[in-house]
Amino acid sequence: MDSSELYHTKQLFVLGAYKAVVAQPLPDANSPDYTSALLYQIRSYIALDDTDTALGLIPDGTENVALKAASALARFVAADEDDREPILEELRDLSLALDDDVEGTEREKDLVRVLAGIAFSRAGETEEALETLGSETEDLEAVAVLVQIYLSIHRPDLAKKEFERSKRWAEDDLLLQLIESSIALVTGVDNYNDPLSFYSEQIGNPSLSSTHLLTSRAVTRILRGEVDAAKSDLEESRREHDDEEALGAALVVSGLSGFRAEQDELWEKFVSTYSTHPLAADVAEKADLFDSALANYSVPALPVVA
Amino acid sequence: MSVMLTKFESKSSRVKGLAFHPTQPLLAAALHNGSVQLWNYRMGVLVDRFEEHEGPVRTVHFHPSRALLASGGDDYKIRVWDIRPTSRRCLFVLHGHIDYVRTVQFHHEMPWILSCSDDQTIRIWNSTSRQCMAVLTGHTHYVMSAFFHPKDDLIVSASMDQTVRVWDISGLRKVGASTAHGHNSFEFDTFSTVKYVLEGHDRGVNYAMFHPTLPLIISAADDRTIKIWRMSETKAWEVDACRGHFNNVSAALFHPKAELIVSCGEDKTIRVWDLTKRTAIQTFRREHDRFWVLASHPNLNLFAAGHDSGLIVFKLERERPAFAVSGDSLYYIRDKYVRSYDFNSGSDIGLLTLRKFGSPYMPPRTLSYNPMERAVLATISSDNGLFELTTLPQSTQGEVKDSTVDGKRGPGQAAIFVARNRFAILNKASQLIEVRDLSNSVVRTIKPSVQTNEIFYGGTGCIILSSTSTVVLFDLQQQKALAEINSPPVKYVVWNHDSSMVALMSKHTITVTNRTFGEHSLIHETIRIKSGAWDDAGVFIYSTLNHVKYCLYQGDNGVICTLDNPVYLTRVKGKTVYCLDRSARPRTITFDPTEYRFKLALLKNNYEEMLYIIKTSTLIGQSIIGYLQKKGFPEIALHFVSDTATRFELAIECGNLEVAMETAKEIDRPETWERLAQQALRQGNHKVVEKAYQQTKNFDKLSFLYLATGSKDKLSKMQKIADARGNPMSRFHNALYAGDVEGRISVLRDVGMYPLAYLTAKTNGLEDIATEILEDAGLTEADVDDVPNFGRSALGIPTVVTETSDLVWPSLASGESFFDKALANGGLEGVSEPAGYTNGEASGALDAWAAEEEAEDVEAEEGEDGWDLDAGDGEEHAVEVNGAEPEEEEELGAGANPGIDETEHWTRNSPLAADHIAAGSFESAMQLLNRQLGIVNFSPLKPLFLSAYRSAHIYLSPVASLPPLKLHVRRNTAESNLSRVLPVNVFTLEAARKELGDGSKFVSQAKLQEAKDAFAAVLRSLLLVALSSDAEAKQWRDMVTSAREYLIGVSIELERRRVVEADPTNVQRSLELAAYFTHCQLQPAQLQIALRSAINVFTKANNPAGAARFARRLLELKPDPKIVTMCRQRIAAAERNPRNTVEISYDEFTPFEICAATFTPIYKGQPSVQCPYTHANYHPQFKGALDPLTGLAEIGAAASGVPAPWS
Repeated sequence: MDSSELYHTKQLFVLGAYKAVVAQPLPDANSPDYTSALLYQIRSYIALDDTDTALGLIPDGTENVALKAASALARFVAADEDDREPILEELRDLSLALDDDVEGTEREKDLVRVLAGIAFSRAGETEEALETLGSETEDLEAVAVLVQIYLSIHRPDLAKKEFERSKRWAEDDLLLQLIESSIALVTGVDNYNDPLSFYSEQIGNPSLSSTHLLTSRAVTRILRGEVDAAKSDLEESRREHDDEEALGAALVVSGLSGFRAEQDELWEKFVSTYSTHPLAADVAEKADLFDSALANYSVPALPVVA
Repeated sequence: MSVMLTKFESKSSRVKGLAFHPTQPLLAAALHNGSVQLWNYRMGVLVDRFEEHEGPVRTVHFHPSRALLASGGDDYKIRVWDIRPTSRRCLFVLHGHIDYVRTVQFHHEMPWILSCSDDQTIRIWNSTSRQCMAVLTGHTHYVMSAFFHPKDDLIVSASMDQTVRVWDISGLRKVGASTAHGHNSFEFDTFSTVKYVLEGHDRGVNYAMFHPTLPLIISAADDRTIKIWRMSETKAWEVDACRGHFNNVSAALFHPKAELIVSCGEDKTIRVWDLTKRTAIQTFRREHDRFWVLASHPNLNLFAAGHDSGLIVFKLERERPAFAVSGDSLYYIRDKYVRSYDFNSGSDIGLLTLRKFGSPYMPPRTLSYNPMERAVLATISSDNGLFELTTLPQSTQGEVKDSTVDGKRGPGQAAIFVARNRFAILNKASQLIEVRDLSNSVVRTIKPSVQTNEIFYGGTGCIILSSTSTVVLFDLQQQKALAEINSPPVKYVVWNHDSSMVALMSKHTITVTNRTFGEHSLIHETIRIKSGAWDDAGVFIYSTLNHVKYCLYQGDNGVICTLDNPVYLTRVKGKTVYCLDRSARPRTITFDPTEYRFKLALLKNNYEEMLYIIKTSTLIGQSIIGYLQKKGFPEIALHFVSDTATRFELAIECGNLEVAMETAKEIDRPETWERLAQQALRQGNHKVVEKAYQQTKNFDKLSFLYLATGSKDKLSKMQKIADARGNPMSRFHNALYAGDVEGRISVLRDVGMYPLAYLTAKTNGLEDIATEILEDAGLTEADVDDVPNFGRSALGIPTVVTETSDLVWPSLASGESFFDKALANGGLEGVSEPAGYTNGEASGALDAWAAEEEAEDVEAEEGEDGWDLDAGDGEEHAVEVNGAEPEEEEELGAGANPGIDETEHWTRNSPLAADHIAAGSFESAMQLLNRQLGIVNFSPLKPLFLSAYRSAHIYLSPVASLPPLKLHVRRNTAESNLSRVLPVNVFTLEAARKELGDGSKFVSQAKLQEAKDAFAAVLRSLLLVALSSDAEAKQWRDMVTSAREYLIGVSIELERRRVVEADPTNVQRSLELAAYFTHCQLQPAQLQIALRSAINVFTKANNPAGAARFARRLLELKPDPKIVTMCRQRIAAAERNPRNTVEISYDEFTPFEICAATFTPIYKGQPSVQCPYTHANYHPQFKGALDPLTGLAEIGAAASGVPAPWS
């Protein structure tokens, strides 16, 4: 059982309150929680795209495998397309060496696989990611990554199978509930009731507040067709903290409410601020597709009136 | 029934007789020490004591409707008491019995008293004549009890002779009437006969009574049995006996409502039996005290038992109905049925029976409702605590569902839902809380941090634990306590509407706190707290045994209304309290929330609201005034008071001198004026001070005040007054203050103080006066030459710099508050409602808005009716719907192949271009549009395509640093089968209709270019609308047609204006175009414009006949009176001069279409080609060209029309 501070940190991390995680003081360096808490902070910085700070937190010359993997992930996220391969190689080595006798607890070894899996998945190496994480894992974080990868390759059936499997050994963990709700977001099973009640419950949780949760509920509500409710969630979350998720969702809300001018405005903002986001790439690709499809049609001249 | 619920207990000497008051919470007890006690068992206080019996009192009984009490005892006497506190006394004594009196009873309707005695007789007395009417003899030993039948003219008696006898007293009614006339008493009865003698007990019988409704008798005897007897018209026989008491049974009662028997005996037990099965259900044992008597309340579920050292009042079961509130519904349990009550409609229906849940004699204790799953979770205390989880039936038709069908049960003392798919069960003995999922399997076991007796919902992921001295907010995930508040055991927990506040209710306290148990306030009640609910404004309304009260968030509380019987509040809405009564029937109580709303507004400094309340309600009473004063708002209180003395006090307190002055005048007492003067002085209002001093004739102070204000003339007046009063001291004072030397000297001279007068004159250089004084004193200069020479006095009165006498000092900030202004003179006229909706400008704007909206609505409606043109034609499937997705069994792991993207399903599932666009499959979308509607020019649609695509997909990152998940927004959200899912409607008919409305508004405002753009945009948007039914397809086509007509019309008018400008000589073309414009199918509002424009153009061109034709058409549209006049003029003009100057190509009598390219008519029968999308007509030579209206489609191209995948 974790100490309650560490538990709390983990809860914040799982629910996407990365800012809250990094705002928390680290425990004493001699405390048994120190490394775990440090890892959550590093991972939160990576999630916030602040890889420099993340790297700064990693002690020089650490022998801890998890910290090494975190460092690799941070560098991977920061690196350009071309510089990524050596870092992936490093992660491959790290995860292969796990079976040998290396420093680190079981949990840290699991974390290495999770971080490596994330990096592989980001690099598009889905197969390698799945292999690294393994289908027999009993680490819930690994399951979360696995499930999301399955979902992203449109295999909700496999995601569900993985979830059902982990239900047997994972107690009623928060992360398990998150996994369940992510699956429902993709499949739309039961009219998105699972994610809606999960996010609503967590928003009501007095011990944390996270704009990510509000945004997630807004997304759920958009999916349920409750655009007005989604809008009010988004307004609240964007007032606190505007990120690509919230902006992206706001974009959809304005589109669905018929405010196309507003959507264009938001879109301009989105593309200029988050040019590397998959949405930006996706829409740009669609725009190109449109232009090339235009070539299939020849436009006749307007009638000439004598 | 695990416990007997003791409500009240008292210690005294042995209690042999007990009686409940039928309406008030009073209990009379006959004591062995000779006194009769009258208890208020609800408040727990001894109300009265009657001590005139000599020796033990054995029996008491209340009159069913009057304030009378009868008692009987070992002094052979029956006493009848008036129990009203104002006139309490022994009214009369009935003498006649010659041994101990065992029981007395008033008849339920006749003025009769029944008694029985150890003298082996039963007597009936007339309480009006106070005479014995009848003596029933027959028993051969002490008669231990005798009672009337509740309806019939029967008496049942029990005797030590081992028999129970039933007597027929029907003959007594006639005689009763005659004896009332003051006839003599009867020594022996000839009107009453023994009807049955019930033999069967082996020992003396102590007690016997009739069943309240059934023909049954119960008897309790020294043979340790209770026997049940049945009567018919002709006979009576023993039915059964209840064995179990191991000593004499003192009394046995039928339960007034349930099929139960309650008995007590000298074996120190009270026992409860099942009447139908005659089996023991429950035993309540006392350590040392033998029980002697039982009494049941006639209406309530209350019992009382007397024993060796006092009495107890008890209930057999909890009367609090189990209930849960969700939204506008109340779910509650009555008679083991789960029912739902709709707060709005008042409909009340049974949904589910729990009759096989736990003990049949016990109602369920709690109910928790889960709105998402429509499930209920009930607990019951029998069998050591059980819970049951059942779903409510979806439909309310047909048979009520039985919970055993799919109910999931288990042991547990408390059960609540903690999340949509989780519930928590408390096991008190093992102190474990199990979290279970809906299939009733344990997902988590928790050891609470304190000894827990109850659990409640505690917000997300939390529960509230109630222990003996604290209440704990406990996080289920972390398994740790988040916060703790000291409190007596919490029994109920009520959350407010937005779950920000919670009320924790104990027996005598309520703790109101927020959801983190941060700040909290505590309320104490001496009376037991029963229930509570939050109102919309965040005020907690709660009920005690006898009141409904309110509590504000910082702890202020007060009474709303009193209650006769306890109720359980379920919801508060506006002025209505919804509650359940003790028989679990929904009730409502209407109350006046003004007082607490006012206090709440006060606390929140919401002055507008307060003013509004003051203005619209009658808030009176000392309590509110006291409250306002206490809270520091005397100025507000001032406006509630009419009593002058109080008004004065309040006015002084808040420094409202005006009111204080007014009231002081009315009171006119010296101390009042003094107080006013003091306060006015403090505030620097010297005018009021002056007035007050004048009133009290406080001359000294008045003079000083004048000095201070520099009011010389007033000072001289004061001198005169002083003179008139004959007060030289005062005169001197005033003279001194006024700097009036002569005045001073004259005072001194008048009082004979010549030396001082002389010196004063001398030092002020008034030699003449000095000499005069000397003369007066009979002295000469020589006599005073030893007086030293003092020189001129330098003392003088300071000059007045500012005339303050007419000014009032800058007064002390007396709290010139909002209210002083608003409530000036108590006048509240012209105070607007809190929100200020009456503000002139704003409301004007709103009216305009409303009018516009209305106009729009009307237009839209008319539009739908008017567009009865060509319904959606040629709807065919253009694309075959693809088969379902391939089902593959695959192992988890690295080898997982990517599945099919949802967008691909969308394109497979729909032949509509809109759906393909949302799926991002632009190529196929273009193909569809091309095939279905002949669209060839797609460039103008690009922003629409991209917008639709962007609006149908969202990205979300549930896991840190992984690429986000792409989620797809569907329109059929309830569908999760991938072979039926479809993308969301980004472009809708409603939106298009609104755009169309905007366009026609532009037309009305003559913004033609804008209108043209708007209609073209509507026609572009309509291409991207996904249709789902024939009705929608028809609407769609109507809208396309309407937009097309407007577009053509606007284009014609634009062309006309161009022609007029470019070629002013071409009148003919201008007239033709104006005429064609009137043939576009427009809404009446716009058609009027077209016609008026045509009339104008034709009149100007001197074509009166043409103008008249348009005028006639315009008249048909019933335009404004002004326009009607104009039309008539045109028509008249045409009659005078029916000649047209300009010939035009316009034949209004042959139907024609307008070519949208050339704007010339295509008369019926002439060849034409159509736009495949808008169906606009063109002259045949334009086939193959781009449609000039929308710039989208190819004129005359083959098109299949929009398919109807729904049919």
